[in-house]
Amino acid sequence: METMKMWKLLPVVLILTIAPVGMAQELKKEFIDTQGQESRSAAVKVKGGTMLFLAGHTASQPRPDADLGNFDAQFKAVFEKIANTLAKAGGNLDDIVSMSVFLTDLRYAPQFQKMTKDVFKKNFPAMTFIEVSHLARPQSIMEVQPIAVLP
Amino acid sequence: MTAAKRLAVFVVLYFAPVFQPIYAQNREMVIPVPQSAYSQAVKVKGGTLVFLSGVGPTDEKGALLAPGDFPGQVRATWENMRRIMAKAGGSLDDIVTMTVYTTERRWGETFTDMRKEVFKTGYPSSAFMEARKLLTPGALLEIQAIAVLYD
Repeated sequence: METMKMWKLLPVVLILTIAPVGMAQELKKEFIDTQGQESRSAAVKVKGGTMLFLAGHTASQPRPDADLGNFDAQFKAVFEKIANTLAKAGGNLDDIVSMSVFLTDLRYAPQFQKMTKDVFKKNFPAMTFIEVSHLARPQSIMEVQPIAVLP
Repeated sequence: MTAAKRLAVFVVLYFAPVFQPIYAQNREMVIPVPQSAYSQAVKVKGGTLVFLSGVGPTDEKGALLAPGDFPGQVRATWENMRRIMAKAGGSLDDIVTMTVYTTERRWGETFTDMRKEVFKTGYPSSAFMEARKLLTPGALLEIQAIAVLYD
């Protein structure tokens, strides 16, 4: 009799153990030490989700008509391209958790930070600014390499 | 074997995969290079990711620490990274990869010597490169890192 009762419990045990496996892991993001003035967080902690590693994006394509000499124009073109890449992967700009920003002139960093405020609606990603001598194309004055985590 | 025993064995075997990740090694240093204190690759499975912004030798207000003193700046940078990692619920040992930007690549050996003192449970993968300029004037290095935490 005792054994019969235990066997009857088996389906319940099985369902309870399978339940967490079947459930998709929920994405949890925590933004640490966000500095609104610099439009960045010191760190972003992420559990779950799907990672997306983006290439370095520059303002060269698909807008050959863009005024590449102008910082604001390059910024807009770069983030348009990044948004496009993210959209193709099923995400959007708010999914970015980290960005490496390579500039040929770091004096543009404050302008980059200012324009970044309009890119992210809720939280700012981790960000690193580096000045480099040259980028792949002579007209490029910035290259942005993001990492995103999609829900 | 009684039905009860068979049931017990079945339940134990059934649960085994659920507990397996807890016991499995979830971080593996691939081809460690101890003389330069880094690994050619670090293999990780699962866990919580922490993306850090570039960290340099600055105080809380962003003012430069240890001007002109490379070892002093390295120590200040580790301290800042330690503080951010603690806020994220981890430590420097949880770092799996770092990109180290320096303004003078001759500091490479000093840097790797100092990295040996910090990482005790295996070396992260790493890239070391000379940047033309860093965001904080006078900073000789900046480190961008990614860490993985386990519950």
